[in-house]
Amino acid sequence: MTQNEIIQKIKDGGQAELGLVYETYRKEFLHWLAKDYHCSSDDCQDIYQLTILVFHDNIKNGKLEHLVSSVKTYLFGIGKNIAMDFGRKAKRNSPIDQERWLTDYLIDEVESAPTDSMFDYARKALLNLGEPCRQLIELFYYGKKNMEEITTILNYKNAETAKNQKCKCMKRLRKLYETEQSRTLIDTL
Amino acid sequence: MNNDYDITQVEKYFDNELSDGEVSAFMERIANDPPFKALVNQERNLIQGIRLEGLKRDLQYLKSVEDTINSHKIISPASAARRLWYYAAAAAVALIATIGIMLYGPSESADELFVTYYDKPYPNIFEPTVRGARDHETQRSEAFLAYDNGDYARAAELFNELLKVKKEPGVLMLLGNANLMLGRTEEAKQNFITLLNDFDELDLPAKWFLSLCYLKSGDVENARKVLKELGETEVSYANKAKELLNKVD
Repeated sequence: MTQNEIIQKIKDGGQAELGLVYETYRKEFLHWLAKDYHCSSDDCQDIYQLTILVFHDNIKNGKLEHLVSSVKTYLFGIGKNIAMDFGRKAKRNSPIDQERWLTDYLIDEVESAPTDSMFDYARKALLNLGEPCRQLIELFYYGKKNMEEITTILNYKNAETAKNQKCKCMKRLRKLYETEQSRTLIDTL
Repeated sequence: MNNDYDITQVEKYFDNELSDGEVSAFMERIANDPPFKALVNQERNLIQGIRLEGLKRDLQYLKSVEDTINSHKIISPASAARRLWYYAAAAAVALIATIGIMLYGPSESADELFVTYYDKPYPNIFEPTVRGARDHETQRSEAFLAYDNGDYARAAELFNELLKVKKEPGVLMLLGNANLMLGRTEEAKQNFITLLNDFDELDLPAKWFLSLCYLKSGDVENARKVLKELGETEVSYANKAKELLNKVD
């Protein structure tokens, strides 16, 4: 499989493809990380998992469409930055917290950074949204699937129906988000 | 107060559906209209929240893959399809710990849990080979194609025909999933039970989907029993599932 075929496979695929890529580069990556950054086995695995997620996220979000280098070189580049990031934090006695790192990764992307409580409102709103809305919204905004793909996956009549459904689900999600926000505000009063 | 037009514009902006001219007007409004800017920020935060939940879910999945590699050392040169299957199974087991908590949670019914955790049918990784034009082989290709295309009614019909010719674990797995997608829970349950009783393959995902069938039909006791059995296997999150089930029993 060529480098760009790997990218296409991840773009079109789901978790199983992610697992396959994870296994493919794992041994070499962990060996390199342990040798160059002297991290423990657990820390190396944590960094590798985040590296694969960033690689996946970059593909899904269109930041990575064609590779000029190899997938391995690209992964090592991401991994190096994450390892250095954790290296800096380690000096401040902060242990590796993958979920915290992922939250910061998303916060860093936007100018008006969301706070932790905003992520919490979103999490609770999604939890209360129910199916198939939650899946539809996640396929669209996280999986970056288009309406034709969502139509097939969720068995809608056509792309137009899927799109209308997506708008209705977002409307409900906004309401739930605002409810969570108001509830927290009332609790703090 | 935000009106529907504003919300539609904001949604279109994030979905990249505005023209260049509309984007310019949109940006100008953000700069000069603080309530509108707040609305845009809220939508952005919501989308970032959706992405964070997706990332967390995939992180748990990668952890289950890591556990599986460590416990099985599956670095053998297995075929890509078999390895994909293996990871799909690992993904299913990774959810057990979570569902263990949810089973006893006060807020969701068993049926809601089913809807939450049955997010997509088992992938067709069996890739049939079409060798000729004999009836059952043509049907075979059509059955898998229908499944891949999400036409579960046609897929189920053809898989049933295939099973009359020969019972196969992969076909039973996909038929069970097609029936689940069609809301035919009882039929799906029978498919997974047959798969478990008659074959040694696909035990792990078959048990997972059987537990979901039980949840769908409101049979929490049997769902718990199957989840417990899964917890006693030696794959990835099984120990955590076992520990969790022990705690809540």
